[in-house]
Amino acid sequence: MKYIYLIAWREYSENARTKGFWLGLLLVPFIIFLSIQVPVWLQKKGTPTRYYVLADQSGSLAPVIEVRLDREHQKQVLADLGEYARKHLAGTNSAQLPSLDQFISHGGEAVYLEKIQPHLKTDAPPFKSPRREFHPVPLPGGVQENADITNLTGTLRPYLRGEKTIEVNGQWVSLSAAILIPTDIEKQIVRPNQKPARTPTGIEYWSGNLADTKLRDEVEQAVGAEIRRREYLIRGLDAVAIREVEQTYVPIASLNPKKEAGQEAVNRTDVIRQWAPSAFVYLLWVSIFAIAQMLLTNIIEEKSNRIIEVLLSSVTPGELMMGKLMGIGAVGLTMVFSWILALVSILTWKTGNSTEVTGQMLTVLKSSNLIPMFSVYFLFGFVMYAALILALGSVCNTLKEAQSYMGVIMMLMMVPMFTMTFIPKDPNGVLARVLSWIPIYTPFIMMNRIMADPPWFDLIGTTILLLVTAAGALWMAGKIFRIGILRTGQPPRLLEMLRWLKR
Amino acid sequence: MNGNPSTSTAPLEVRNVSKLFGDFRAVDDVSFSLPAGSIYGFLGPNGAGKTTTIRMILEIIKPTTGSITVLGESSALKVRHRIGYLPEEKGLYKKMQCWAVIAYFATLKGLSRKVAKQRAFELLERYGLKDFATKPTDALSKGMGQKVQVLASLAHDPEFVILDEPFSGLDPVNQQVMEDIIRDMAKRGRTVLFSTHVMQHAERLCDRILLMAKGRKIFDGTLAEAQRTIPRRVRIETEDDIAPLRALSAVVSILDRSSRREEAHSISTEESQSLLMSAATGSMGRESRHWELELRENADPQAILQTCFARGIRLHSFNQSDPTLHEVFMRLVGPDAKEATFR
Repeated sequence: MKYIYLIAWREYSENARTKGFWLGLLLVPFIIFLSIQVPVWLQKKGTPTRYYVLADQSGSLAPVIEVRLDREHQKQVLADLGEYARKHLAGTNSAQLPSLDQFISHGGEAVYLEKIQPHLKTDAPPFKSPRREFHPVPLPGGVQENADITNLTGTLRPYLRGEKTIEVNGQWVSLSAAILIPTDIEKQIVRPNQKPARTPTGIEYWSGNLADTKLRDEVEQAVGAEIRRREYLIRGLDAVAIREVEQTYVPIASLNPKKEAGQEAVNRTDVIRQWAPSAFVYLLWVSIFAIAQMLLTNIIEEKSNRIIEVLLSSVTPGELMMGKLMGIGAVGLTMVFSWILALVSILTWKTGNSTEVTGQMLTVLKSSNLIPMFSVYFLFGFVMYAALILALGSVCNTLKEAQSYMGVIMMLMMVPMFTMTFIPKDPNGVLARVLSWIPIYTPFIMMNRIMADPPWFDLIGTTILLLVTAAGALWMAGKIFRIGILRTGQPPRLLEMLRWLKR
Repeated sequence: MNGNPSTSTAPLEVRNVSKLFGDFRAVDDVSFSLPAGSIYGFLGPNGAGKTTTIRMILEIIKPTTGSITVLGESSALKVRHRIGYLPEEKGLYKKMQCWAVIAYFATLKGLSRKVAKQRAFELLERYGLKDFATKPTDALSKGMGQKVQVLASLAHDPEFVILDEPFSGLDPVNQQVMEDIIRDMAKRGRTVLFSTHVMQHAERLCDRILLMAKGRKIFDGTLAEAQRTIPRRVRIETEDDIAPLRALSAVVSILDRSSRREEAHSISTEESQSLLMSAATGSMGRESRHWELELRENADPQAILQTCFARGIRLHSFNQSDPTLHEVFMRLVGPDAKEATFR
């Protein structure tokens, strides 16, 4: 036992000294942090203000578009004000956010700020209103709004291409979009059962940026709503009544029969709860695979530079194998659990109130047996795969040789990756149950099913089978390791290895 | 932790050991035993079964038949703390610091971590590697790396040391250091078994020699005994008639070596007690010839010299030498070595 410990300790401390270990250890938390933080940053600063020109030759649609864009902006202002109030209101004061319509009609930002001013903490910083996402600019290049469309586009083209810039508030900015509404837009309205005279061109939306369609969508929706409103009037329909009709609905509630009476309502936490295991399956897969690779490289290296012989004059092959298994297993455990710790702490740190996704994820992690079950499956799964890898490593002389065999193991290991998204949809179905009873898949599939209350028979039965298989793999690996480790030359044939087992 | 080195029982006894790999007989019924405190040379051509025998002694692999007793135990694992081993193919953990490698192997041999560390630094300092103690081993030259590995296998001061090809890859200076290490251990009562291809090392160091070829033991005994396995020879150079020498009972045969003057010359310059006589110069006209006289066992070469004086045979040179280990080796395993199968 002492020698197993000595070998394990060397493996651990040597691996912990490599750059790769620290890179792996720190990179994952960093990525977790970024994946939470970047969307926030992007929302705040990421998208720059986009400048657009609006040439409305029909003279009737420009105000509709502008009102719509302003409303979008007010929505953002209101959200930011809510956040501001939540952070800086003193004591028990809680911010009652008005509805968007109320907010706009009651005077917007200035009035709201005045209202909450007396309740703010004394050290509260002044509110910074968000930047406008879309900013209108006047037509550049001295061109008139009612000029010929071809003429207009000709003048705007170099601006849209970024060859020329426009001065806005003393800053030279590039034009990101131009919206051109022709004079005869009324005639170009497409109605069902009515064949248009010619293919209508409609509103022209010019922009070099094809990926960001938000402005285009806003314009389309604003104009669409306005055209329809006019259509109601022409047909003598009550536009207000129709609007009210359109907003009529019956709510539909998702209920989960497995939850306690009175609390069956399904919320986002439940959805997270259902999908969280998939994330853990992925983590399990990545970590087991990464450590198995590490083990393979380690054993091949030691074999190829013949250190193994000195070791074997001091320890038995069994001790050597167990030492490596434990040492490198511990490296993996350190890595994986520091990842989980990082995930939990980043979620805790980033969570302001519990309605956010991060908060719900945290609740799921804390209230479920995900982490303990992960630990169990990691341990058993690792032992089983490590045993296979050690046996493989002991009969190969070069990494290249081993990699080709590793490919086969990889292919077998891929199956849980493919089923990962199907299993949660039918976690106790035939596919899930059958795969659960195949030991090499047990850790992954059971991890995938764990939140769906799998039957006890499956839960305990598969774990026992996994345990027995892991022990068997270890015993077999020990036998092959013993003979294979000093072997040079061609890797043995399967039959030969089977004969080794009998010795 | 080290037992009394002057233990009366032999540190190693190998009895009728054979090892089969499939149908291949790597070691075939080999028996020998090592006296305590001796330096034992383990010789043989490539593929003779030396490394396999060593691995069986260390119980890295098990013999197919036969038994091995190491330091009084039937299993080397029971006494692994008292054995040191340097394998044939050398390797070190590349990223580990020199002292750490030595200390690690020493802890695997039962030393406490603290003592092992202290011992590692001591050894590195003693063998001129003090500056490299905290360097990773891949910063070392091949020779230095090998030295570190030797130190690693000896750091626990074992009473029985097995060195597989300890001299290969070392420059002459470090070969000398290696020889000193081996002699030093023997002086302190340790038993050393080492294998080598280089006969000079064995000649200089060994008390006893074990010669193997094709898995079989060919010879086991002292150096003098080895030399006695081939007849003694005397080489002379003269222009006179050597007929009187043929009549001597000590002489088995006489060969004319004149046509192979160069070979004769090269042998005469080898490390051996040579006696060069500046003979009479009146040798003009007649050609001087080289003769090789094979002597009967226990015959005195001086008798040849006396006969020459008595019969007026004027010698240009008289060369009497013991056979070298190289000659013994070539004679005993020469034909085998050529056809030895490589695995």
